[in-house]
Amino acid sequence: MPLLCVVGVLAVVVISLFFYLLNTGRKKTTPASTAPGKKDFNPVYVSIADKPDSIMKGMDAFVAKVRKTESAGDKWRWIPMLIFLAGVGLMLIDGILIVLGYFSFIFTSGGILLWIAAFIMARSLRKSDSKEFSPMYKGTKEIIHTLRDDLKPGSTFLGHLDLTGAMLQTKVARETKDTQNRTTQYFADQWLSLKAKLYDGNVLRVSAIQKSKKRKSYTKRSRISGKYKMKPEKFKGSEQELKVRIVVNPQAYQIVPSPTFRQGQNIGKYTIAALSTEGGMINVVANSPFEDVEQEHILNILKSTYSLLQRKAA
Amino acid sequence: MSRKIIPFVVALVLICLVMVVAGVFSFSGAVTADKFGSDTAWSQPYNTAESMKVIDLTGDGQDELFIQNTQNVTVYNGDGSLLWSFAYSQPKTSLGDVNGDGTEDIIVFHSNGVDVITNGQSSTIAFALNIGTPARVALIRFASGPQIVLGDTSSNLLALGLDGQPLWTANMGSEEIRGLDDAKIDGQTYLAAASHSGIVRLYDGTGNFLWNNGQGQIRRMRAFDLNGDGNSEVLTGSEYGDFFIYSARDGSTLFNKTLGQAVSEVREVELNGDPSSREIIVGGKDGGIWAFSFDGTTAAQLWTGSLSDKVTEISGLDINEDGKQEAVIGDEQGNVAVFTDTGTRNNLPKHSSGITRIDIGKLGGERYVVIADGSEVQTNKVNLSSIPGFKYTPLVVGLIVSAVILIIAAILASIPPKPEMKVSFQDKSRESLDAERRMLKESIADVERLRKAGEVSGDAYLARLKRLRGDLAENEAAFKAAGYQVKVETFNCPNCGGTLELGMDKCEYCGQVILS
Repeated sequence: MPLLCVVGVLAVVVISLFFYLLNTGRKKTTPASTAPGKKDFNPVYVSIADKPDSIMKGMDAFVAKVRKTESAGDKWRWIPMLIFLAGVGLMLIDGILIVLGYFSFIFTSGGILLWIAAFIMARSLRKSDSKEFSPMYKGTKEIIHTLRDDLKPGSTFLGHLDLTGAMLQTKVARETKDTQNRTTQYFADQWLSLKAKLYDGNVLRVSAIQKSKKRKSYTKRSRISGKYKMKPEKFKGSEQELKVRIVVNPQAYQIVPSPTFRQGQNIGKYTIAALSTEGGMINVVANSPFEDVEQEHILNILKSTYSLLQRKAA
Repeated sequence: MSRKIIPFVVALVLICLVMVVAGVFSFSGAVTADKFGSDTAWSQPYNTAESMKVIDLTGDGQDELFIQNTQNVTVYNGDGSLLWSFAYSQPKTSLGDVNGDGTEDIIVFHSNGVDVITNGQSSTIAFALNIGTPARVALIRFASGPQIVLGDTSSNLLALGLDGQPLWTANMGSEEIRGLDDAKIDGQTYLAAASHSGIVRLYDGTGNFLWNNGQGQIRRMRAFDLNGDGNSEVLTGSEYGDFFIYSARDGSTLFNKTLGQAVSEVREVELNGDPSSREIIVGGKDGGIWAFSFDGTTAAQLWTGSLSDKVTEISGLDINEDGKQEAVIGDEQGNVAVFTDTGTRNNLPKHSSGITRIDIGKLGGERYVVIADGSEVQTNKVNLSSIPGFKYTPLVVGLIVSAVILIIAAILASIPPKPEMKVSFQDKSRESLDAERRMLKESIADVERLRKAGEVSGDAYLARLKRLRGDLAENEAAFKAAGYQVKVETFNCPNCGGTLELGMDKCEYCGQVILS
């Protein structure tokens, strides 16, 4: 019986190794998670302080560089499987010797060493794989592309694009505990921050923040059995917040009310939560209950905010 | 160290390791490919041998093959020709020098009495004895003189003088006598006897027993001086799988183990080639095989193995002449296998019927393994064949593995490093750098404001501050690189490398006190 167990465990290990190496060769890895709060993209941080064309070219060049690194390992992806098969070949020599009446384990030992080497190589190749880029990487490029002609000549966009993850420990805004001593973490991830001097003399600031909520894992004692049970962490939801501030050039514009842009108005995925036009500045706070927003929704808010401005006569 | 060099360094270390291990295996001779085989010299039809021995029965210095079954007692010459054969009904036999001529005689205990066959001449030394159906017979050389001891199927013992005169009787229960053997105490010979009733006793030459032990129904009993100290050990195996080693001196138990199946055979085999300890092989009714080593005080299990069916016979032979005996073991299905000192099993050709007896000895000047099965007796020349040069295969395998390791290292070194996921697009004009600097300072002020408002946790505050200050340091570096004047406002913590505002005396990230 123990022998059967050992053989069973070995068979499972060998079959697992075979499919691991096969999937390495076929470049079939676990697909990026799309579950809420668990999206798995390249953790990119882009520091922006350049002209729009340079930023866009740089972003494209960065994507190309990541892809090139990945493709450099692609041509070797079947090598671990070939090494695995070479190991099987070595083991077969022992098999033939045993059939001929001799006992030998030396070729099997060599085969096992080759399998270990194949596993290490496959793991290294998989490590060089990169994840997908977040849709907001491309979306931010689109925003910069759209605003490029509105920028004051010679000036630059300033800010950052932080796609390293919305629920990192470094992004915890606060923590609360409920009556059952369960901890809930609130995250605030300012994933986009842009500042630009515009052609018309206005200064535009845009910041997009993803606010998420997660209950941490905890241990609970069952009232019936008395056993302790580990409850996993739970994603409790996420929303987007967009803050827009336009410092208006008083020589070019005056701020006027707009019937199509007021508090409570829905614009795309966003709803205007707060609107202030005091002090020659327009401050807009828009919320979205969606976890993801697209660039067109951000641009729509910007366009709608501009409906509050009326050009002064020359 | 360069990223391209590291895989090769690791590979070289691994290759050295693999080749050293391969070298040790190769040059120590630990790796061999050996195979035991056998060639049949001659065979004779013979039904179900009960007793068999290769021994000199004619006094010519050449061994003959003695064999006995329920119908006859037969002796074959070394070349397989029949020397003589006597018909009996249900005989039991033993070998010993009865007439003192230096040659072994055959003692036959049969239903009508006791015969002694000397060099092909049979003579009856006793008849009409007061004993039942024959079960065992032995010639025991007591200190008081040799005696022929008879055992029947009702646990009766009857000792005879060499002239056939009864000397003493004893009873050991109601079932069959399962073992009679000579056992030594301080060099003096006694009779060890065991019955199926479970009684084990040691008798002296007058029929008095020195000690008496009881255990479950005994199938096998043998006595050996396992450590050569002049005192024998009595080995028993029971129907219920109990294996005992008793001291012949006082009957105390030296070792016992429950094997899980009835013990069908017990033999002594010199497995490790060390004469100071003797090894014992025990065979089970379900095919189990256990090897024990006895060091004079107790026994330790060496290995276990198995055959397909009831182990019927065990014999020892140094086939490869390395000073260690191999155990040749047969079972009731006709399988014969050679077990080495490490317990490795090597099969010899299978017989068409169950193995009944195996013995080893020289016949016609050649050393043979004689195997008797249900229908014939066969003499086999057992040999060991090895693949020449096989000891170097670890080096070959080591070279293959090393080559693969080197190839993997070369491939991994050729893959460029994964780019850092932090990328910065920075315009080097003074105006742009100034604008970036303003923005960074605004952002730092924002973070400070958030902390004061309690909208950011301590860890998050420090992480954001660290990043923004890092960006500020990069901005200052860009200023300097472009040749513009800038008032330096940051420095790096000498402990953790984090960027701090000039003038700070304690690192916010690692707590290091900074003296400036």
